[in-house]
Amino acid sequence: MGLKIPCPRCGPRPFSEFAFGGEVRGGRSPDPEGDFRRVYLRANAPGPQRERWFHAFGCRRWLVVRRDTVTNRIDPDEGDGLD
Amino acid sequence: MAWIEFEGRRVRIEAGDTVASALFRHGVRTFTRSIKSHRRRGLTCLTGDCANCLVRVDDEPGMRSCITPARDGMRVEREGGVPSVERDLLAALDRLHPLLPVGFYSKTFIRPRLAWTVAERLIRGATGIGRLPTGVRPRISQVRHLHVEVLVIGAGVAGLSAALSASEGGRSVLLCDEGEPGWLVAPGPTIERICSLAEAVQRAASITTLWHHAAVGIYEGPLVPLAGPERLVHVHPERVVVATGALESLQTFRGNDLPGVWLGRGAARLAGRHGLSPGRRAVIVAETAEALEHLGALGSSGSKLVAVVASDEIPAPTAGARVIRGGAVMAALGRRGVRAVVIRTERGSERIACDTLVLSTRRFPRDALLRMAADLPPSGEAVVGAGEVVAPGCSLDEAEQSGALAGRGEAVPISEPPAPGLGAEGLVCPCEDVSVADLERAWEEGWRSSEILKRYTTATMGPCRGALCGWALAAFARARGADALASARTTARPPARPVRLEQLAAGVHEVVEKRTGLHHLHVSRGARVDWSGRWKRPFTYGDWRDEHRAVRERVSLMDVGTLGKFLIGGPDGRELLERVLPCRVESLEPGRCRYVVVLDEGGYVMDDGILCALGDGRAYLTSTSGGAERMEAWLRGWADRWGLRAHIVDRTSALGAINVAGPRARELLSRLTDDPVDASAFPYGAHRHLTVAGVPCRAIRVGFVGELSFELHHPRSRGFELWTALEQSGADLGVRPHGLDALDVLRLEKGHPYLGQDTLPDDHPDKLGLGWTVAMDKPWFVGRVALQRMRELPLERRLVGLELDGDASSLRGMPLALDGRVVGRVTSCALSPALGRSIGLGWLRAVDGGFPQVLRAGSAQARVVPTPFYDPEGVRVRA
Ligand code: FES
Ligand SMILES: [Zn+2]
Repeated sequence: MGLKIPCPRCGPRPFSEFAFGGEVRGGRSPDPEGDFRRVYLRANAPGPQRERWFHAFGCRRWLVVRRDTVTNRIDPDEGDGLD
Repeated sequence: MAWIEFEGRRVRIEAGDTVASALFRHGVRTFTRSIKSHRRRGLTCLTGDCANCLVRVDDEPGMRSCITPARDGMRVEREGGVPSVERDLLAALDRLHPLLPVGFYSKTFIRPRLAWTVAERLIRGATGIGRLPTGVRPRISQVRHLHVEVLVIGAGVAGLSAALSASEGGRSVLLCDEGEPGWLVAPGPTIERICSLAEAVQRAASITTLWHHAAVGIYEGPLVPLAGPERLVHVHPERVVVATGALESLQTFRGNDLPGVWLGRGAARLAGRHGLSPGRRAVIVAETAEALEHLGALGSSGSKLVAVVASDEIPAPTAGARVIRGGAVMAALGRRGVRAVVIRTERGSERIACDTLVLSTRRFPRDALLRMAADLPPSGEAVVGAGEVVAPGCSLDEAEQSGALAGRGEAVPISEPPAPGLGAEGLVCPCEDVSVADLERAWEEGWRSSEILKRYTTATMGPCRGALCGWALAAFARARGADALASARTTARPPARPVRLEQLAAGVHEVVEKRTGLHHLHVSRGARVDWSGRWKRPFTYGDWRDEHRAVRERVSLMDVGTLGKFLIGGPDGRELLERVLPCRVESLEPGRCRYVVVLDEGGYVMDDGILCALGDGRAYLTSTSGGAERMEAWLRGWADRWGLRAHIVDRTSALGAINVAGPRARELLSRLTDDPVDASAFPYGAHRHLTVAGVPCRAIRVGFVGELSFELHHPRSRGFELWTALEQSGADLGVRPHGLDALDVLRLEKGHPYLGQDTLPDDHPDKLGLGWTVAMDKPWFVGRVALQRMRELPLERRLVGLELDGDASSLRGMPLALDGRVVGRVTSCALSPALGRSIGLGWLRAVDGGFPQVLRAGSAQARVVPTPFYDPEGVRVRA
């Protein structure tokens, strides 16, 4: 329990060690077409969303988690840790 | 013998005294005045729950005297009242109460508008308690973070037992209390139980105790801040057990706030712990079994019990007092304090002379923390209550049992709090002087839910935060037929207990302080060192004009080790840069460098720096001092996203950097290096490896200050020897260091904006006149799509160079006006020593499709001129 973020390298750590990187909006490859969507159209939906966090006071790497924007329940992402 | 100083008199204190008990022994009965009606208030709860005993202690206002231990030499004053608490002329306001109904201000001062500005001053003077101390330096609190498995709040029977059971199996437990175990409890069976449990807690190895630390709230996490005497403690527990107990209800009847009206536990504590009798003749209302203990304590303190108003479940108390079954208090009479009470009996009503009325009434949970947690899923699931806070009125055994279950994380039996009956008269919320009649009037006006009644009447908004009146307010709405939602308790918000403002600010001063390797050297050279972002940097070494002259005419040094410095390599390193930077990276040959701006996805300028192409496909990138951390995260983010095999090495703190600038910089360097530094071997826009005074450096030839300059990036550990060698061998050239003050003017003369100072978050390169740094013919880079779209729109704002009249060095921040209309703002300005006139930068909005050329900045005229102001052709920097 608690507002901890599971870092795949450092384990679960208090969220205050992390910087928020926004919801995952694609962009795995440079994509002039997808850019517009990614920059201007954000889901901002209540409920679970995949989002990026930067472990600023830890391994200084990015990671992806699932967070429920209503309850703040945070679970690790099943993916490869990248968005 | 110990004393406190009380309003110019000396008051003796005895062992175990609180400020309240010492004053009470001294004869003080009126402790404060109420916030609006200036009614007298005296000791009531003795548990820190009401606002009737707030005094000023050692210049700190609003201290709860009943839980403030008395210490020798303390200075105590009462607050409120004109001229004093004892003789308060504003008490006349109480008689005006019928003329000052709820909503009075908002109804009365609507028109004329100006009336309120006058009235507000009068009203503010007449209401409120206490003065803020002035001229006192704040005691800056510190923050400490504690991570534990279980946090138990409250060291009563349930809390102690919860801590014990939670610690089974070696779990780490933190047990905190606003005071100490049993400190508020009168002698009796409860305190015996507390003592034996507290001993066991003391022996348990995995329980840490924090006394005199009050939990002020529960936040997401859960995160529980505890306010202690010295510091704020942020507790990050896995689970929380709230065992904050319950509080007797203040019944509503006329005069229910008079000094002499006590809650049962308060009166028992005064009698049992401090040996002081609350009064000579007492009437007690006994609704609970515990009332018998209170009776005993009162009797032994010397109070004469004249009557016991007992409900039917209470066994007949010991002889002496008259027992009135099924009676109820109608009113407490008196002016300075209780003189008599009116009791409704079966035979009508009866007046009984007495000076003390003790309410041993049914108890309501002190559940503010629990209610906060309930609004916080899923963190709230980790918070449970134990003991009276979930089962008010439970027995000692039940409380201990409940704590044991909660400590283990098992379900705890919960019982409904009693339904409070509301009388027809008296105050519901003594803190805010809100009476039953006020609530009724508000209800009639249509404010028909507890939350709305709260906002309209300010009930529950007093210093006790609804501890005394929250239940009554909800009951009032329920009794009038409001549904469950409209008669719910109002939302509980932190702080549940008072916090000093300094404690709210705790931690803000614990910032990271960064220093370069040359910090001590600057200090020894007499530099004025101050904050620049998170860095401590030299602003000037004495006279910035002299430093400016050294750069323009001779040669000067500046510590620029704060710049972000990154090495980017790996098979895909160049590819990464090509994609994230808006300039051509491929065409940059090894040994060359280039000014780059970095755009975010929205096409806005995020940072700028210098990109150096290294020989082996790697690159060296600098960023602004403030942008270094973000730059690293940003580069890594893109590399991860695209799965590029790129290495990003942050060299910011490993490397130092010294800028050697000025027309004689080359002459100075050539004395210390055998490597060629002449213009043909090392031209402008190049970077080279130089060994300077034996120190290996990457030297970069760019010029922020607009003179011939070499930026020497070197191993941080060798900065000192490099700097001193430059100083020594340049002595005859007149070398001297320059700081940020001189730099600010130097770069302004060149028209270089400071990102963040001269720019806004939504500035794209064109707005800054930096469009030339962007290679739009590249098929793709981060921010390109957005920039392209923005370029289709006309430019609505631009950063421009300004020439101003007179000495305009203090005009930074001044609006730029056109015919009285604000169309821009000065973001930098200075009286340029090199040009002998005032120059500046500022942003300007387009007016009717064009940018005005002549504006006003305050009283000065401002003309838009092209930049750079100094050496526009850049001859000097290329020398
Ligand atoms: S009695 Fe304190 S806020 Fe109402
Ligand atoms: Zn990590």
